[in-house]
Amino acid sequence: MKEFKILLIIAILVIAGYYGIDIYAHHEMYGNLPKPDFHYLDLKDVNIKGDPVKGKELFQSNCQSCHSLKAEGLNAMMDAETAQNAFNVVPPDLSNLGAMLAPHFLFNFIKNPQNATKNPKFAMPPMAQLTDQHIADIVAYLQSVARKNFTGKDVLTDACTRCHSVKYQKIKAFTDEKHLKNYLGKVPPDLSLKGRSKDREYLETFINNPQSVLPGTSMPRLGLTEEATNKVISYLEEIADPHKQQRNKVGIWALIYAFIGVVLTYAWKKKIWKTVDK
Amino acid sequence: MRFIDWLDERFAIRQVFKLSMVDYKVPKNINFLWSFGMLLVFNFAILFISGLFLLMYYKPDANLAFDSVNKTIMMDVSYGWIFRHVHAVGASIIFLLMYIHIARGIYYGSYKKPREGVWLTGYILFILFSATAFTGYLLPWGQMSYWAAQTITTLFEKVPFIGEDLVIWIRGDYAIADATLTRFFALHVVFLPVLIIITIAIHLFAVRVVGSNNEDGKKIDKQKEGIPFWPVFMSKEFFVMSIFLLFFLYLVFFKFDFAMDRVNFEPANPMQTPKHIYPEWYFLAYYEVLRGFFFSQNLGLIAFLLSMILIAFLPWLDKSPIVSGKHRPLFQIAFWVFVIDFLILTILGKLPPSGVYAWIGLFASLIFFGFFISLPIISKIESKQLRKGETDERV
Ligand code: HEC
Ligand code: HEC
Ligand code: HEM
Repeated sequence: MKEFKILLIIAILVIAGYYGIDIYAHHEMYGNLPKPDFHYLDLKDVNIKGDPVKGKELFQSNCQSCHSLKAEGLNAMMDAETAQNAFNVVPPDLSNLGAMLAPHFLFNFIKNPQNATKNPKFAMPPMAQLTDQHIADIVAYLQSVARKNFTGKDVLTDACTRCHSVKYQKIKAFTDEKHLKNYLGKVPPDLSLKGRSKDREYLETFINNPQSVLPGTSMPRLGLTEEATNKVISYLEEIADPHKQQRNKVGIWALIYAFIGVVLTYAWKKKIWKTVDK
Repeated sequence: MRFIDWLDERFAIRQVFKLSMVDYKVPKNINFLWSFGMLLVFNFAILFISGLFLLMYYKPDANLAFDSVNKTIMMDVSYGWIFRHVHAVGASIIFLLMYIHIARGIYYGSYKKPREGVWLTGYILFILFSATAFTGYLLPWGQMSYWAAQTITTLFEKVPFIGEDLVIWIRGDYAIADATLTRFFALHVVFLPVLIIITIAIHLFAVRVVGSNNEDGKKIDKQKEGIPFWPVFMSKEFFVMSIFLLFFLYLVFFKFDFAMDRVNFEPANPMQTPKHIYPEWYFLAYYEVLRGFFFSQNLGLIAFLLSMILIAFLPWLDKSPIVSGKHRPLFQIAFWVFVIDFLILTILGKLPPSGVYAWIGLFASLIFFGFFISLPIISKIESKQLRKGETDERV
C-alpha cells in the first residue's frame, strides 16, 4: 500500500511535469496558429459558367507559351532552361493543377497572380487581355482535363518541386538554386523532413497561407484545396517517418513481451517473499 | 563434470557468489525506491548498447552528421530507428531516474555519515551524465543541437580574465563548427563513458562498504534484520525492472516526441537562429535559475553554477542527528517545497522569460536556494529538541 502511494506521487509529479513542459509551455511559446481558410474568402466571388472547349483554345493561345499540359500532349513553347532564365522559376505543368487548386482561387489567380498568391514578385504576369468569361473558360478546361484521384506525391510534383528539393526521395527542384535565390531571396528549404520537424497544424496553416505564419515570406500562397493540402501533408509525414507502421507493429509485440516479463517476475517475487514475510 | 563445476574449481565462483550476493544483507524496511540504483545501471547498459549500434553508422562531420542520423540510421538501416529511439528516450529517462534516486537520497537522509562517499560519487555521476547528454545532443547536428550548444558555450565568456579564450578553446573555432562536433564526439563516445563506468564502480563499491540506508535511517543488525540480497532482494529488483521496461518500451515506440524535439529535425543552420532556444527538459530548472535573476546576467550565472554545485554539499549543510526525513516534520516541509519548486522551475525554463513568468522565475529561484539555507537551521532546531529530550527514541 505504502509503495503504491510512493508510485502515485511519482506518477503525479511526472504527469504534471510532462503537461507543464510539453503541452502548456509549448503552447505558450508558439501561441495559437490562425485557422486555414480553404475558401480563400479574401478573394472575389465568381459565378460564371465556363466552357471547356473554348478554354482549350484560350489556353493554347495564352498559356502554352510558358506552361505545358502533358495530359493533352501539349508541350510548352519554351523549354525549362529558357523559362528559368526568363522567370527564375520553371512554370509548372498544368495537367492536374485544375483539380488541386480551389476553382475560386484559380480564377482570381489568373486574373491577378500577385494578389492571389500574396507575393508581389510572383513570376507569372497578369493577363489584361482576358475577360472574366475567358478566365472562367480556362478554369473549366483545366478542371475538365485534371485527374480527380491524384495522390499526395502528385501534389508535391505539380505544386512544390519547381521550388523545393526533396533530397531523401532523390527529387531535385526543377529550377536551379541560383535562379531560386534570385527569385525568392533564398533557396527554399528541403522538404524531406518537414513532415517531422513541423506538426500537421502548422503545415496546414503555412501551406494554406504562408504570410499568416511567416509575414513577408517569399513562398507564394498556392491555393490548394483542403483535400490536396491534406494529401500533400500526409505524404510529407510519410516520407519523413517511413517506418511508422513497422514501429507501431513492433511496438505492440515489445509491450506484450514486457508485460509477460512483469507477470513472470511478479510470480517469482511472490514465491520468494512468501518465506520472508512470515 | 558440469561446466559450472569446472568454473568453480578455477574461479571459486560459488564462494564469490555466496559472499557477495547471498551473505550480503540489505535492510528489510526499504521500499522500491531502493531499486532505482539498479534501474540506473540497467538504463546505462541500454544507452551503452544502443549507442554502440548508432556509432556503426554515425558520421562525425558537419556535412554528413545530420544525414547519417536522419537518413541512414532512421530510414535505411533496418531497425536503425529503434536504436535511435532507444538511445534518445534512454538519455532522457536516465535523468528522470537520477532525479528520483537523488530525491530518495535526500528524503531518507542517505547522504549523511557514513555515506558521504556514496553521495559524492553519485554527484560526480550526475555531472558526468550531464556532460554526456550535452555533448551527445550536438551530434545529430540539428537546429536545436547547434543553437543549444552555441548558447551554453557562450556562458563561459563570463569567466573572468580567460573567458573569451576559454570559449574558443571549448569550441575549437569562433562559433560552433565542425571542430566542435568532432571534439564533442570524442568526449561523448569515449572519454565520458569510460569515466562513468569507473565512477559507477566506485559508487557501487562505496554502497557495499557502508551498506544501504533504510526508511527509518536506523543502523540495522544485519544478522537479525537483513534480507539476503540474492535471491530475496533481487527478486523484487527484477520485478521493478520489468515494470520499468514496460514503461520504457511504451515511450520508445509510442511516446518519444518528448525526447526527440521536432526542431531538431531541421538541419543546423548557423545563419538562422530558431525562434526559441531551450535545453532538454532535464536542464530546464538550472536554465531557469540562470534566467531567473533577470536584472543581472552575472548574478544569474553565479546562481546557475551554485544551483548545480550546492547539492554536493548536502552532507555538510544538514548535520541533523536524525537521519531519515520520515522522522523530521520540519525537514519534510522543506523537502516537498523544494520538490515542487524544482518542478515549477523546470516548467518555467521553457516558458518565455517575460512578464509575470520572469517574476515567478526569480521567486522560484530564491526558494530553490532557500532549501539549502533552511537545512542548517532545521538541523540546529532538531539538535536542540533532541537535547531537551522532546523527540522520542525513534532516532
Ligand atoms: C515559388 C516557390 C515555392 C513553391 C512553389 C513552394 N514553396 Fe514552400 N517555400 C518557398 C520558400 C521561398 C520558402 C522559405 C520561406 C521562408 O523561410 O521565408 C518555403 C518554405 C516552405 C516550408 C517551410 C516553412 C517553415 O516554416 O520552415 C514548407 C513546409 C514548404 N515551403 C512547403 C511547401 C509545399 C508543401 C509546397 C507545395 C504545395 C511548396 N512549399 C511550394 C517557396 C516555394
Ligand atoms: C509568361 C509566362 C507565363 C504565362 C503566359 C502563364 N504563366 Fe502561369 N506561371 C508562370 C510561372 C513562371 C509560374 C510559377 C511561378 C511561381 O511558382 O512562383 C506560373 C504558375 C502558374 C500556376 C500555379 C499556381 C499555383 O498556385 O501553384 C498556374 C495554375 C498557372 N500558372 C496558370 C496559368 C494559366 C491558366 C495561364 C494562361 C492564362 C498561365 N499560367 C500563363 C508563367 C506563366
Ligand atoms: C547513473 C548514475 C547512477 C547509478 C548507476 C547509481 C547506482 C546506484 C546503486 C546501484 C545504488 C544502490 C542501490 C540503491 O540504493 O538504489 C546506489 C545508491 C546510492 N546512490 Fe546512486 N547511482 C547513480 C547516481 C547517483 C546520484 C546522481 C546520486 C546523488 C547525487 C547518487 C546517490 C546515491 C546514494 C546516496 C546511494 C545510497 C542510498 C542508500 O543507501 O539509501 N547516485 N546508486
